[in-house]
Amino acid sequence: MTRGTSLAAKWDAYVSRPFPLLVRLSMNRIFHGSNAGEEELNISMGLLLALLAIPGGFASLLLFDKYGSFLQWLRGQTKFDPLAAAMPDEYFFIVLSMVVTGGVALWWWDSIFPDRRDFVNLVSLPIATSRIFLANSVGIVILTCLCVIDVNAASSILFPASVGGAQPAFLFVIQFAGVHALVVTLASIFSFLAVFASTGLLMLLLPYTLFRRISLYVRTLIAIMLLAALSTSFTVPRMILDLPRSSHPLLRFLPPAWFLGFCQLLRGRADPSLAELGHVAIFALVATGVLALVAYAVSYHRCFVSLLELADAPPGRLGVPTSWIFSLLDRLMLHTPFQRAGYRFVIKTLFRNDAHALAAGGFCGLGIVVASRTLFSAFNGKGLTPLPSAEVLSIPLILGYCLVVGIRFVFDVPAHLQGNWIFRLLLDRSIEESASLARRVVFCFAVPCIVLFAFPIYLHYWGWTIALVHTSVVMIWLVLLTDVLFVGFRKLPFTCTYPVFQHSAVAVAMAYVFGYFAFTAITSELELDAFSRPVMGMAFLVISLGVWYTVHRVRRLFTEVGEHLIFEDKPAAAFQLLDLNGRRE
Amino acid sequence: MLQAIELTKHYASIPAVQNVTFSLEGGQILGCLGPNGSGKSTTVKMITGLLKPSRGRVLFRGEDIRTDLVSYRKRLGYVPEEPNLYPYMSGREYLEMVGILRGIPQPQLGKKVDNLLALLSLYPSRHSAMASYSKGMRQRVLLIASLLDNPEVLIFDEPLSGLDVSSTLVLKNLIRALGQQGKAVFYCSHVLEVVEQVCSHLLILRQGVVIACGSTGDIQKRIGHSSLERTFHHLVEDVDPHSVTREIIDVIRAA
Repeated sequence: MTRGTSLAAKWDAYVSRPFPLLVRLSMNRIFHGSNAGEEELNISMGLLLALLAIPGGFASLLLFDKYGSFLQWLRGQTKFDPLAAAMPDEYFFIVLSMVVTGGVALWWWDSIFPDRRDFVNLVSLPIATSRIFLANSVGIVILTCLCVIDVNAASSILFPASVGGAQPAFLFVIQFAGVHALVVTLASIFSFLAVFASTGLLMLLLPYTLFRRISLYVRTLIAIMLLAALSTSFTVPRMILDLPRSSHPLLRFLPPAWFLGFCQLLRGRADPSLAELGHVAIFALVATGVLALVAYAVSYHRCFVSLLELADAPPGRLGVPTSWIFSLLDRLMLHTPFQRAGYRFVIKTLFRNDAHALAAGGFCGLGIVVASRTLFSAFNGKGLTPLPSAEVLSIPLILGYCLVVGIRFVFDVPAHLQGNWIFRLLLDRSIEESASLARRVVFCFAVPCIVLFAFPIYLHYWGWTIALVHTSVVMIWLVLLTDVLFVGFRKLPFTCTYPVFQHSAVAVAMAYVFGYFAFTAITSELELDAFSRPVMGMAFLVISLGVWYTVHRVRRLFTEVGEHLIFEDKPAAAFQLLDLNGRRE
Repeated sequence: MLQAIELTKHYASIPAVQNVTFSLEGGQILGCLGPNGSGKSTTVKMITGLLKPSRGRVLFRGEDIRTDLVSYRKRLGYVPEEPNLYPYMSGREYLEMVGILRGIPQPQLGKKVDNLLALLSLYPSRHSAMASYSKGMRQRVLLIASLLDNPEVLIFDEPLSGLDVSSTLVLKNLIRALGQQGKAVFYCSHVLEVVEQVCSHLLILRQGVVIACGSTGDIQKRIGHSSLERTFHHLVEDVDPHSVTREIIDVIRAA
């Protein structure tokens, strides 16, 4: 037997022992989630690791031109301090590592603790509960380390290489890389521990049923905070550079700023304010670690040991019954059985199914973050003007765009596909109401949200005329956007398989980005022009009518082709038989 | 009322069901039996219209169900083998949704759902998410969903799985009563005792082929066994259960 074979045999023998088996079981549950085998989207570990590594690697590659000596020479930068220039980028990488790792921790939120299935399978076996606890802890540590290393590996090599590439001393690159790797790793660990501690603390402080109920909202809130942290990459480095002259109390509450302070401390370039932030980072890391550990240990005991009691307890009641709202909507806008049942199904799925609620919440969070940034830059040191600026006008458009695109995206994600047999059984495939149902859902969400939010604010600051005109413009454009996005939609949301990857996927993604600028920036500029020049108002009206007419024509075209309901999103066949008899299943 | 004519289904080139022919009249309860992989579920899916046969037809009142699947399904109640429901919906919400899709008017629907939930002991947990329901509770939800619109044809695929003793008794009596009311019931199960007690007719499948079809009494008489268990064993089982049992005991006892 060769040495390699004997090592492999020893490893096989080791991983077949009870404790490593328990660790593997925990890792599988955490990675695949508690509903492994039930969820439709199940990605492999390799793919996940590749996806997590991409942002850091990609962002590092984009920085090569900034630090290249030839390009600096072309730009006329003769005195270039790489450490000063790298500071904003360092902050960005710290934020990125925290956001990605925090996102992973959020994804694993539900599966960090053993579930009912583990309980049923493990507790009946002759294994001590403490051993299961230890195995679960080891599983979490291994996966966290793997995730942290993966998220930061590319940036820890490529970013120092780009910064130090033009430097003559190799030691500089080594030192820079060491500090960068240490700081982003610690920032990642802090982010993971912070999410982890939040779960544990919530479980510890709240009754189990209440924890389950608010868990989704807390996760959405954390996701929004992570997105908001990403948006600070544009403003915080400026504030940090400004620190010696003026104090920015906001920085004390920003964990990425603490870790940047720690980084500068290690590099010996921290002024007293930054050094103070650096010390906060160390304290916060240790405190979060201890908190996470204690909360995990206590809530583990509470959750796992009493799992059977919880399982036997009478099931908790779902949210407040909203039958009067549905009855009202039935009378106002839901006229057919398909629309009524479909609407109820869509709303309940959107609010109650974790994956869908999180995805929709993510898009809303993105909208809030972008809108806040726009608002911040619109009023940065400026007062109110008689006419709102284009940036101010674009706020409800930004929120509306993110909300509508988010809902459109989420509608394509299936929910418990095994359950769709009831729709396959009961629905008439020739029904042509899918798009109209989807539009109704979007209108019910987006239009009141945006209008109720926008109208009072614009009325308060700019008066009736601007409030009425702007709210009408926002409403009309939201209706048009919804019409455009749902042209050719042939599904009952959540009941169809994932759309197949199409050759046009990149083009669609680009269209969304371009659409964002057209919808928010161009519309608000045109509207501002229309406020100041009535002729432009007419032009704006003509453009709106043109868009509406085009959408109307395209919709008619799709209706003529046939919009029958589908439950499987298959690619179009290369060859198709002509159905000359006009029969449809 | 319902006729299956030479139903055949191939998955790729592998035949799952071949030339299955039977008829089901109003008032009849047809028990479908067969070992695992005999084609029972495929047959059920074809007669519900969920699966298109590779060959053959299913006729409802003399008309191919695929010419107007919607109106056929309006007259059909179906309990599938797996209780696949939306776990984040409550039992009442799910049933309400099914009722609306079936076109039952709203006030009547609410009353009907509540009454059925109460009769099947689900009323106290009607507002709870179905994720917290036991298998038996989910099965009862499916049963209510199948009965909501007073269908003419009922197709039950293992409807007793997970049910407790009293629910099982209720369901057995209910199936008999539905038969007496003139409904056509297609009952697929592995539990021979229940089939023997409930079904007036039998359809026995083996490897996708019908090996016996007719009234329960006739089949038993023809085979010459008084119990359905013996008849079934005679027709489909290749193994001797006694010798297999002995071998299992030997293996367990071996050092």
